[in-house]
Amino acid sequence: METIISIKNLVNRFGSQVVHDGLCLDIRRDEILGVVGGSGSGKSVLMRSILGLQKPASGTITVLGQQIEYHQPGPSRCWGVLFQGGALLSGLTVQENVELPIALHSNMPVETRHELASLKLLMTGLSLSVADKYPSELSGGMRKRVSLARALALEPKILFLDEPTAGLDPIAATAFDELITYLHDNLDLTIMMITHDVDSLFGICDRIAVLVDGGVVVGTVDEILESDHPWIKSYFGVPRAQRARHAIGGSRFE
Amino acid sequence: MTNAYLSFNSSPDKLIVNVKGQWVFDEVLALEDATASVLPKAGQSVEFQCAGLEEIDLAGAWVLYDRTEQLSELGVKSEFTCFKAAHFKFLQHIIDAAAIREYKEPDGTPERPKVVRETVEQVGRATASHIEDLGQIARSILDGVRSPSLIMIGETIKQVYFTGVQAIPVVVVITFLIGIVTAHQAAGQLEKFGAMVLVVDLVSISITREMGVLLAAIMVAGRSGSAFAASLGVMKLNEEVDAMRVLGLNPNQMLVIPRILGLVIALPILTIFADIAGIAGGALIAVGSLGISGLQFVERVAFSTDLSDFYVGVSKAPVFALLIAMVGTLRGMQVKFSAEELGLKTTMAVVQSIFMIIVADALFAVLFTRLGI
Repeated sequence: METIISIKNLVNRFGSQVVHDGLCLDIRRDEILGVVGGSGSGKSVLMRSILGLQKPASGTITVLGQQIEYHQPGPSRCWGVLFQGGALLSGLTVQENVELPIALHSNMPVETRHELASLKLLMTGLSLSVADKYPSELSGGMRKRVSLARALALEPKILFLDEPTAGLDPIAATAFDELITYLHDNLDLTIMMITHDVDSLFGICDRIAVLVDGGVVVGTVDEILESDHPWIKSYFGVPRAQRARHAIGGSRFE
Repeated sequence: MTNAYLSFNSSPDKLIVNVKGQWVFDEVLALEDATASVLPKAGQSVEFQCAGLEEIDLAGAWVLYDRTEQLSELGVKSEFTCFKAAHFKFLQHIIDAAAIREYKEPDGTPERPKVVRETVEQVGRATASHIEDLGQIARSILDGVRSPSLIMIGETIKQVYFTGVQAIPVVVVITFLIGIVTAHQAAGQLEKFGAMVLVVDLVSISITREMGVLLAAIMVAGRSGSAFAASLGVMKLNEEVDAMRVLGLNPNQMLVIPRILGLVIALPILTIFADIAGIAGGALIAVGSLGISGLQFVERVAFSTDLSDFYVGVSKAPVFALLIAMVGTLRGMQVKFSAEELGLKTTMAVVQSIFMIIVADALFAVLFTRLGI
């Protein structure tokens, strides 16, 4: 299968604390990869490294054949990012937030731009009545949706999601998971998703990458569940993970 | 007519359009143009043959979808053959789903208000907000001093350090330079009257009564007024202020009062430094280039400048400090929603505190003249 993102021997250090120690990971086209790990295991650092927001101590990262350099323009046309808090520009309305990347990267007429942005908002399940509101007037779930709409504005091939369901109630979180699956089914999207939501992990991820001991253990859900690494065992052994696992697909695991 | 995206075959009963090439985001502009040419050609029905379509994304699909909608409005039927992409179904689904929850515009736009009404409203709103500001200040101060605690002392000392001690170098340098400038300017004029020695009087009186305190206050307003507003504003945005309240700490006591007290202590001391530096600047010019001896300078300062001049200057400092700190903390505490507002309130804090300093200084000038000090 085609590799979209390739990470080779990534090393990240903060002072004497080693976060990634020779981490290698390939992300394949059209998959949903869930990234999990304990606090401080470097999930966000990994994502920031891929996005060129973090300077790794060593190692190479290639996205769609382009090597990522720290603070250099990456393939920003081809990826969309949903930051944890949404990271919407607070001085712009919802509509302007979504239109901004389109305006920056194309010369299409205002009307088309407007239509495409509205389309993206509708696509993420928002009603157009929010278009003229400011991010501060929205609820957390709506802010995530707007942020997703902005991430999708340029028809990206890769979508990065940083804890998309964190801070959402179970109904909203389920709806968000459904939305992600729906978009993934209908668009040609590769998704890398940092999450602690075991329901999302079992429900929508094709593969799971577990960050442990400075490296990564990757596999399908079943493979990861069979791993005998102590941290992985305890992570998926806790009652809530067990419950999620049984709830999602008893037949699949039994 | 043929282009990179569409080509036309006519058949007796319908228009056949070959859709081909890259229908992607980057090409939207060209696609809009290309599809516009379908409209005049369309007869009763149009058939889009999509066998040659290489790539399509949502933006491309939208252009095509939008045109077929336009065609159907004109009563033209359109059909698709060999259409692989799921995008259309997706678009249809989105738009159907949206139609269900379509937002209804409130009917009847309100009539345009008259200029007079608008102005009156604005004045009223401004007045109300100023009264509210006053109330907030009074409340935070009273609330803060209601049951003083020891924590305030440590915080206050910290603020004296940040706003006072750290500001000494910059205040000293500016007033020193202003002392030099004043002496120079005065010398040029007073020389014509042969009263060169009065330069000393002019420098020492103007620095001690007005310039020293005013320069120190303006500098502090720029330095600390903005810092107060920005730091309290960020704390408000991070919900730190709310967290304090929940923990049973009184934010007015922890944040507002120490800043006000700290500045009230720091600014008079800074003023003394400013006075000394300003007179030193004057002395440098007087002794260095005007031919007044050091002894003469000291004598003249002692003769012309009363201790009361010095007191007049220094006594204004606590009032200015109070204004700066109150405006800064008030604006900081008023930050509510966004980073944008933080910037706005910080600017307001600096501009308003400097404005109020100068207004207060003018009032003081009138007051002291009346009192004959």
